[in-house]
Amino acid sequence: MFRDGWMLALVLIFIGTTWFSLRNGQEKLTRRNLIIAESLNEQRTQDATYQGMIDSLNRNLLPGPEPWMDPRSLSVYGQRAPRVVAMHPRPLAAISVGQSDLFTHVVKPKLYGEAEALGFSELSNPVQLLFGTFDLSFVITYLLPLLVLAVSYNVLSREREQGSLRLSLAQPVSVLRWLAVKMILRFGAVWLMVIVPVTIGLFWVAGGLAWMGIAFVLMLITLYMAFWFLVSFVVNLVGRSSGANAVTLVACWTLLTLLLPSVVSQTANTVYPIPSRTKLIHEYRVAKAEADKRADEILDGYLRDHPELAPPDSSIENRYGFWLKYFASVDELRKAVDPVVRSFEEALQQQQTWADQFKILSPAMLVQDALGDLAGTSSAHYAEYRRQVTRFASEWRGFFIPRMFHNEAMTVPLIAELPKPPVTASTEYRVLYFDLFLLVAYCALVILVVAVVYGRITPARVLQQG
Amino acid sequence: MLLNIAKKEILETSREGRFRIALLVILALLAAAAWTSKLYYSRLREAHELARANARNQWVSQDKKNPHSAAHYGTYAFKPVNPLSLIDQGVDRYAGVSIYLEAHKRNEAEYRAAQDQTGLARFGELTPDFVLLLIVPLLLILIGFNAFTRESEQGTLRLLKSQGLASWQLAVGKWLGLFLPAFGLLVVSLVISSLLLASMGPESLDLTAVLVLLAIYAAYYAVVTNLILAVSALARTSNVSFVILLAVWMMSSLAIPKAVNNLADTIHPYPTQVEFEKEVTADIRKGLNGHEPWSAAAQELEKKTLAEYGVESVQQLPFNWDGFIMQKGEEHDAEIYFAHYAKLKDTFDRQSAVYRQSAVFSPFLPVRFLSMAVCGTDYHSHWRFADAAEKYRIDLVGTLNKDLMNNSRTGDWGYQADASLFASVPDFVYTPSSLSDTLKENRSNVAVLVLWFLASAAGLLWSVSRLKPL
Repeated sequence: MFRDGWMLALVLIFIGTTWFSLRNGQEKLTRRNLIIAESLNEQRTQDATYQGMIDSLNRNLLPGPEPWMDPRSLSVYGQRAPRVVAMHPRPLAAISVGQSDLFTHVVKPKLYGEAEALGFSELSNPVQLLFGTFDLSFVITYLLPLLVLAVSYNVLSREREQGSLRLSLAQPVSVLRWLAVKMILRFGAVWLMVIVPVTIGLFWVAGGLAWMGIAFVLMLITLYMAFWFLVSFVVNLVGRSSGANAVTLVACWTLLTLLLPSVVSQTANTVYPIPSRTKLIHEYRVAKAEADKRADEILDGYLRDHPELAPPDSSIENRYGFWLKYFASVDELRKAVDPVVRSFEEALQQQQTWADQFKILSPAMLVQDALGDLAGTSSAHYAEYRRQVTRFASEWRGFFIPRMFHNEAMTVPLIAELPKPPVTASTEYRVLYFDLFLLVAYCALVILVVAVVYGRITPARVLQQG
Repeated sequence: MLLNIAKKEILETSREGRFRIALLVILALLAAAAWTSKLYYSRLREAHELARANARNQWVSQDKKNPHSAAHYGTYAFKPVNPLSLIDQGVDRYAGVSIYLEAHKRNEAEYRAAQDQTGLARFGELTPDFVLLLIVPLLLILIGFNAFTRESEQGTLRLLKSQGLASWQLAVGKWLGLFLPAFGLLVVSLVISSLLLASMGPESLDLTAVLVLLAIYAAYYAVVTNLILAVSALARTSNVSFVILLAVWMMSSLAIPKAVNNLADTIHPYPTQVEFEKEVTADIRKGLNGHEPWSAAAQELEKKTLAEYGVESVQQLPFNWDGFIMQKGEEHDAEIYFAHYAKLKDTFDRQSAVYRQSAVFSPFLPVRFLSMAVCGTDYHSHWRFADAAEKYRIDLVGTLNKDLMNNSRTGDWGYQADASLFASVPDFVYTPSSLSDTLKENRSNVAVLVLWFLASAAGLLWSVSRLKPL
């Protein structure tokens, strides 16, 4: 099979696309890391500046600033020196862009403001989102099967068309065994040609510490390739001419990588629609308007929008008096909108879980999903990140509000005690075992088909077809 | 003779069981795609109408409040769903549906459908454009890859030539035989969609736009037909022809769009949300802020205004100074947002240019862009909506600030405007770009598509002229 120049060309093209895809993933990753690093750096600089200011102000080395800029005020510190809650990339993030082009990876929850107002959207050209990235996930899910099919579609038909099949089968060997040996040889050769560049590439982008994840990627690739070789095996066995085989296999590929996923996705959303965001906005606004009316009793409506007009004077008993009232009104608001938001989130979660289970209908969907899990860029990861941010936002408020009630001031030692954002959890491999198991099941299913088909085939028929 | 060849080709295609099945499957897919898209669209439109009415209702029925409080309360602009999104949803799922309009801040459109979907949706959705753009060309390849190779493999080419048939006649005959089934599918698909659109009210169906879509896709299939026949005429065997065509299809419709994406993003990177916000905030901090009367810029404006009116203090001004400075701050912010969004748009334009240039390698690209432009679901339409919403926001906040300025006295924060002021602000109405404007904006895509047709037709004629019976 290597005598043909075009086989070598195919391999070279595959190595090229692997490199290109990893380079693309790596480029996005570098930018993501840069933004996180810059944001963390800003946070450190801000802390250091405020620490210096607090120190100097306490020692009367600086003239007192406007109250709304004085870092000794907890209210100022909590608002102007927010923590960076970052979604750090996992080691294998470069292999699948997944949903990472839709969401931002840096959020800074502040002391004031509605939790729902936290933006999680990444700024992006929607055309980019529509076309998607040329990442390793794309190469494996879409292109790898085509490579497998290209080297295996005519193993049997070619011999038949050249007239050498009769000769081969004159040996004391069954068609099944003869074809299996030829296919396994091809599988081995192509597997090596795929695995070597991919492994090198993965160690290049992820480093040696990610060996476990890399092993999973390699297992996924192996099983996925095995699946397509087996499909090709069946088609070879029952097929007629090389041309007919090629057409059938391409039809299979189209069905499993293009049609089925799109049909499943569309059907899932038709049968079980995603809850409407526009409806959520309306309900949120209604709840908010109600809460606003109640809050007005606690606080003059105008002051809420204009913190700078709060009495700056600390001669009042509590210097945070204004803010404490503000928190009261925000609490009122939160109580009113929380049920609305929570029921939306729950409905969404249910819909996603429901839609997601249909991934088992196609090995292509399974592989893409598993790669997203390994990269840490699936919808579930971003949902988890949003929950982390929301949790941290209340932790952050929880640090300041009681101290403000006690009329405390921000001090240098307190800076070290500020809540620290969570570090993103490590990769969860459990779901991947299930994906691997399903791929094995798919292979077993095709082997079963081989057995059934083979039972009906006589050597004479194999020779006559075409 | 020409028609005989076409007839024979179509007959042969229809005789083959697998093509009959494939055609039926694609017809079923097109119908299902149109139907589910209609459901999706009706749901979207209903939600949109409701949200729009609610937002307006909430705005006009506000309690008495200070105009600036009302500006902070804000309202929402909802992007109308184009009925033609039933055929091509374009980037709609990836662009937000609503923009929160409030004082001091230009917000990005929020709530992209794709964010609420799982990664599964990134495979693509079964919509008419998906079938028309990706699947139909693939079907054409399956039918036509051996159009010429078969003749030479079976030795019938000699027979045809012996009839005194000119090669161009053969080419045109084969061309019609391949193109007409695709055209038929296209017409059926658009008729189904048009009927579904018409069923939702006469205003939903823009027949001119549908005809333009018909022309665009017909041109695309003409290019695809040319390419298939040219390769089939050049290839030595059917197998080679098939592999080449499949590779071309794969590159043109899947790989190149993605690769160009990465290329465009590498050459002209889009800023991230964090970067963009940081730049905007930095510029806004430098200038006037209605909420920070202590800032240097505010002090300077105060001095200038006092001198202009020849008074000693802001209290003596004939209008509410707070309202005045609030409006000045708003204008300053709006200018900064305008500048930054102009820069962003420039980046988008540069990225678009990369896509346009890459269309030389992929006839899929110009068709992809034209289709969503005609359906009003491209990024240009989104920009148009976002710009209209921003203009509305500036007017809205301006009206409120001027009311504060003219109807209350400086320092009188107790002033409250009643519902008549809120009702005096007209509702947000967005008019999508007209079809002729859209086509004018997309003339380069049209030109590239025409070039593709001419070049592929020339290639076909050349390759057919080289055909020699074995």
